[in-house]
This record gives sequence, C-alpha cells and structure tokens, in this order.
Amino acid sequence: MLKKVFFLAVALALLALPALAQDAPPRLNVVDYDLCGDFGGVTVTVVGDAGHNLAPYHFWADDFAAMGITIEIIEVPFADVYQVLKTEFVAGSGAFDVVTFYPSYIGDFAGNGYLLPLDDLMAREPASVWDPNMDDVLAPFRELYNKWGGQTYALTIDGDVLVMMYRADLFSNEDEKAAFMEQYGRELRPPETWSEWLEVAEFFTRDAGETLAGEVLTQPFYGTAEFGRRGFSYAWYLNRAASNGVMLFDEQMNPGINSPEAVAALQNMIDTLKFAPPDVLNFGYDELRDAFIGGQLAMVVQWTDVPKKAADPSISRIAGKVGVGRVPGFEVGGEVAHRSMMPVGRVVGVAADSDVPEAAYCVAKHIAYNTSLENVSTSLTGLDPYRMLHLTHPEAFAPLMGQENAEAYLAGLQVALADGYPDLFIPGAAQYQDALDIQVNRALAGEVSAQEALDAVAAAWNEITDRLGRDTQVAFWQQALESYRALGLVK
Amino acid sequence: MFSSSVTRRRVAFAFVLPAFVLLLAISIYPLLRTLGLAFSSLELTVSPAESFVGFDNFAKAFQDVRFWNAMGNTLVLVIVGVAIQLVLGVGLALLLSEIGFTRVVWLTALLLPVMIAPVVSGFQFRVIYNDTFGPLNYLIKTISGGFVTGPPWLADTRTALLTIMMTDVWQWTPFMMLLALAGLESIPVELTEAAEVDGAGYWGAFWRIKIPILLPVIVIGLLIRVMDTFKTFDLVFLLTGGGPGSSTETIAFYTYLNGFRFFSMGYTAAIAFIQLIVIIVIARIFLVVQKRMRGGEIQ
Repeated sequence: MLKKVFFLAVALALLALPALAQDAPPRLNVVDYDLCGDFGGVTVTVVGDAGHNLAPYHFWADDFAAMGITIEIIEVPFADVYQVLKTEFVAGSGAFDVVTFYPSYIGDFAGNGYLLPLDDLMAREPASVWDPNMDDVLAPFRELYNKWGGQTYALTIDGDVLVMMYRADLFSNEDEKAAFMEQYGRELRPPETWSEWLEVAEFFTRDAGETLAGEVLTQPFYGTAEFGRRGFSYAWYLNRAASNGVMLFDEQMNPGINSPEAVAALQNMIDTLKFAPPDVLNFGYDELRDAFIGGQLAMVVQWTDVPKKAADPSISRIAGKVGVGRVPGFEVGGEVAHRSMMPVGRVVGVAADSDVPEAAYCVAKHIAYNTSLENVSTSLTGLDPYRMLHLTHPEAFAPLMGQENAEAYLAGLQVALADGYPDLFIPGAAQYQDALDIQVNRALAGEVSAQEALDAVAAAWNEITDRLGRDTQVAFWQQALESYRALGLVK
Repeated sequence: MFSSSVTRRRVAFAFVLPAFVLLLAISIYPLLRTLGLAFSSLELTVSPAESFVGFDNFAKAFQDVRFWNAMGNTLVLVIVGVAIQLVLGVGLALLLSEIGFTRVVWLTALLLPVMIAPVVSGFQFRVIYNDTFGPLNYLIKTISGGFVTGPPWLADTRTALLTIMMTDVWQWTPFMMLLALAGLESIPVELTEAAEVDGAGYWGAFWRIKIPILLPVIVIGLLIRVMDTFKTFDLVFLLTGGGPGSSTETIAFYTYLNGFRFFSMGYTAAIAFIQLIVIIVIARIFLVVQKRMRGGEIQ
C-alpha cells in the first residue's frame, strides 16, 4: 500500500512539473515588436535577486529560443546583489551578460565602466527590434535610474515606489466615522498629512476585546506599522523628510540631514511606533505586507506590489477592502508637499565585458519592453508598473483584481509616481544609506534621540564623502542635482 | 659529484616544495596581502587605486564607536554565551554518563542541533521568536494563563542580543556536552571507586577527581567555542540584521558590512587584523593554561 502511495505521489509530482514550468501570464499582444534575429545558439547569463522577479525569463523561454539564445540564470540573495556584482566586476570575471540591479548603484556601476552604454544599440534599425521606447518610461525612472552622465546604461524592469494603502472598509464605516468625528472633531479620511497620520493611527489602535467596525476583536488591531528592520527604514523616514523640505546635501555636499525639519520628520516616525505592533522594529517587507494583508493594520506605506497581493483572496484576508492613496506629506508654505520614496526598483544592464552584448541587449529589451505589461500585471512576479503603457491598460490587471479595483490601483500608482522621490544614486550610495539607516533605526529603538541620530548621520556622511574623495563626490552630487532639478524634485 | 647528504637534502627539499608553495599561495600570501591592505586606502566604490596611509586605518578603528560597540557585543556573546554552554554541556554530560542503555537515543537527540546548518537554525528561530505567530510567546502566554506576554524578542534592544545568544547556546551546547562526555568516559572506574571507598561521596569525587581530569578537555572545547563565537555572523545576519539600531552588530558582521557592502578594503583589512590579534592572544592564553594543567601545575 505504501509503495502505491509513494509511486502515485512521484507520478503526480512529475505530472505537475511541466505544468509549473509553463505557468506564465497570457500574452496580451499590446506591444508591437519583432524579435532579434537568430544568434545561433549563444548562452546569455542573467544574474538577479532570487525569487519571483526572475520568473519572466522562464515565461518567455520560447521567445529566447526563437532568437537562438539559451538563458542561464544565476540567482543571488536579495541583500547580496551589490556585493556579488561588484566582486565580479572588480575581478573582471566576465561571469554575467545581463545584470539585474537596484538603480541606486547605477552611479557606481556605470561610473566605473562596468556597464555597456546602450544608446547605440537602442538606436539601431529596425526600431521594432531594437528600440525600447524609452519615451514611454516614466520620467523619474528614465532620467534617474537608467542614465548616467547623459548616456543610457540600463532599462527599468521594476518601477518601485512607495504608496499608502488603507482599509477602505474601515474608513467608510459609519460607526467608525462617527466615533472619529466625536474624538477629533473632523471627518475620518485617509491621512493627508503626517500629523493626521498619527491621529488616524491612534484612533484605529485597539486591544483584543474592543470593537472595530461592529466586530469584537480577538486579536489586537493597530493603526499602522513601519519598515522598522534595518535595511530600508531610512526610506520610510525619507518619505517624511523629503516632504518636509529636507535636502540630503547642499551644492557642496554639506549634509542637510540634521536640520530642524529633518528632526521633526524623524520624531513623527518615532511617534508612529506607539500605534504599531510591538515587534515593528523587526518588520521588513514580508512582515509589513503580511501584517496588512492579514488584517492586522488599518493603513500602511508599502511598495506598489502589495495591493496586488492584497487583492488575491487566496493569501489575503482583506481582498476587495483596500484603498490606495498618496503617501502623506508635511505642510510647507501653506501647501502639503507629498513625497513617495522610490527605493529598490530593478533595472537591467549589459555587462561591459560580456562576450555576447547584442544578444544580452535583446534579452534585456524583451523583458523591459516587449513583454513588460505581462510581467507587471501578474501576481507571479513582484514587478511593478513603470511605463505609461502599464498605467493605461487596467484591463491587463483586471483578471487579478477586477476592472474597477485595477483602475483605482493604477490611478493611485500614477499619483504616487508623480510624487516619486529617488533613492540616492551617486557612487557610495550604499554607505550613505547604511549610515542613515542605522541611525534612524537607533532612534526608533530609543537608543538615541532624533537630533542625536541625525547629527551622527551628518558626521558619518562627511566622513564618507572625505574618504571617497570630496571633489569627485561633489561633482557626482551636482550631476545628480541637475537631474533632480530637471524633474522638478528640487528647486 | 654530490655527497649523499647533499642529495638527501635536495630530495627532502623537493618533497617539501609543493606543500611549501601551496602554503605560500593559499595562506601566507593572502595574509601578507591583507596586512599590506590594512596600511592602505582602497575604496573600490570609487576607484581600484590603492594608496599607503600608514596606521590611519587602525587609528580610525580605535576611534570608531560602531567598531567598539560590535566588539562589546561579540565579547558578551563569547563570555556569557560560551559560559552557559560550558555549564549546560558539562551538566548534560554528567546526566548522560549516569544513563544506561537509552543513552544512545538521548545522545542522538541532543546532538541534532549541532547537525543543523546555522542558516537553517537562524530561520527556525526567526519564526520561533516572532511576536505575532511565534510559538515562544504563545507558550509564555498559555503557560502563564494569559498573565504574561512575551517581549518582542528580536525587535527590542534589551532582548535582541539575548535571542542570538540563546540560539547559539541551543546549537552548540551539545558540542560541549560531547567533549565533556568523552572526557568522563576516559576516567578510569578504579579512581572513582577508590574515592567512594575513601568516603568521598558523589560531589567529592566530582570536584576532586572528575573535574581535574576533565579540565584539559574542557579548555580545548572552550577554546574552539570562543574562537567560533568570536566570528558569529550567520545568526546576526538572519535574525536581526545587526539591529534594532546597532544592538546586535558583532565584529564579524561589521567587518562584512565594511568589506562587502561598502568595499572599503583598507579599513576592512585593519579591523580583520585586530580581530586576528585578539583571537591569537585568547588562543595563546588558553594553550598556556592547558599546558600547565597537563604539566600538573594546576590541580
């Protein structure tokens, strides 16, 4: 009997394997393109962070085969992408052809000559084969994350930006609205400012046994949570700081990160923790997502793939109950300035020492443009929209979340992207980010005050700038500032 | 004409040469290269150019608050964590030495943690310590009848380092136990029987016979665990990422950040060398103590 069960299990597993391998979103045929010609059986090595974001290379395996390209994928842990790529680049090993990386490293990689400039390949004829239609890419991604020194070195494949999402069912509940009006003397609505954020978070924080929207809670419910774990807590802070008019550096790279506005922004984040789960300081992406889609939080700021996950009833307890809105802002000069950080994101480039640069470019372009709508509209990846093409095709997202939700999702996304504020992307970005991240984290943990934390960041940033070479760093920063100004991110 | 002794020396040299070249290539050269780097500035983020900076990197390390914080955290893990492993390990070994035919079963069960890769145990304990759905806080709440709520183990600066220590103790206590058990097994039965005949009693025999004989083995076990704990990286990486704040950064984790996140190779080499010197000093102390014990100077 056991033998039979065993063989049956093996047979079922074998039957399931091809099904898994073929699991791909349907072709939408929205983009007109032609595949590159036959490269005659070359192998293109693709490297990227492990997991579902490399799935498109499996989805479109037939297309790569039609181009005479065999794809070899090297997966590296999410947190190790920079170290793996940098090590191989410095060693000049030629191990990779297509490199997937976070755009904050473009200054480092392009500036050190590790990447191939793509402009010539993009300009080749016929356009249907070579042109990735960069005009369609949203300006912050195109100008800040794809270019360095005026040349294009990478193509965006993942348009990460932070967005606010909230429990629409709770915000529209009549009992809750009345209770909020009584307590705060104003209408209950998704917070527009960071001070409203604190009020709403306080209002929705309840103990087990209390009532929420007419139901008695069996578990505590919290107003919000933050990315409290080290790694990206700096980005959740910069949402606030950037909207409060904080400039990271002045023209000469003197840090502006310990100004009174910067301190007020950090204090707001610290104050938020009172209305978050007790283990919020260990919340990374997964914990923050799961707490929200598990029905534990009223609102949260998260990456734009989370609404897609929240819409999936197989993993979400709040499917159909989620609203998407602008990340709150601080009032500056009588107006609320909204800023949504754009941490992570993914771009693909061609390694300068690739033996097959044309084939590598064709692979990159196929993922970044030809099949991009399919790649960002499926729950099989964590990739997010970054082109107008994506924002104007809600029907592609409808099978996942319904037409109405898809339209609301894309509208919310468009607003968030309009508020988009880029990660630091000059050489040494990882060091500046780490120095900020650790001090933000120390302040959140109560080790130091907001002012002490940010003074320490300013000192650390000066030390990093001096160590890396102040003159060259200032030149890089001024180049970045030009891009910021061109996009209207700074005056 | 060569004398036979010259020929013998040449043959001996030829035999030793491959091993010498191998040692030079994989051990001596990297060590000397790292030492050279420790006196250089090499910031791979911006340039592969290397420049001599004398003792600057060492001076920076001694003024670096984060370096000293990491060193302090590491020493807490080494001193407190390894001491707990020693006490528990010896205790378990004594219990096992008293058990009869079921000892193999207990021994196998107790050795399981050592067989698990630290990466896997890191993930296991990340789930166990989870405040919301982790079994540890669930147990605390259930056992206390709902009166006691467990802390957010990994998210509180007061408990985060403790969680790393607890995980390390869980994983490596069996190693200390195994060494102590081997030591206990090697004690001649006649010695303990003679002690009993002389009316020493259990604890008298334990302190006057077993512990002195066990000490050299325990010192070697301690040395291995101290050196290993000094290099703690994987548990920090998996459980806390060095946080909250900098409360769980160890010296190995801080070295990794400088080397593989910031590519600040000169400074990384300097702090790596400081660690090497500390470990050599500790090892030397242990070996001297162990030698004295074997020589009978410590009773």
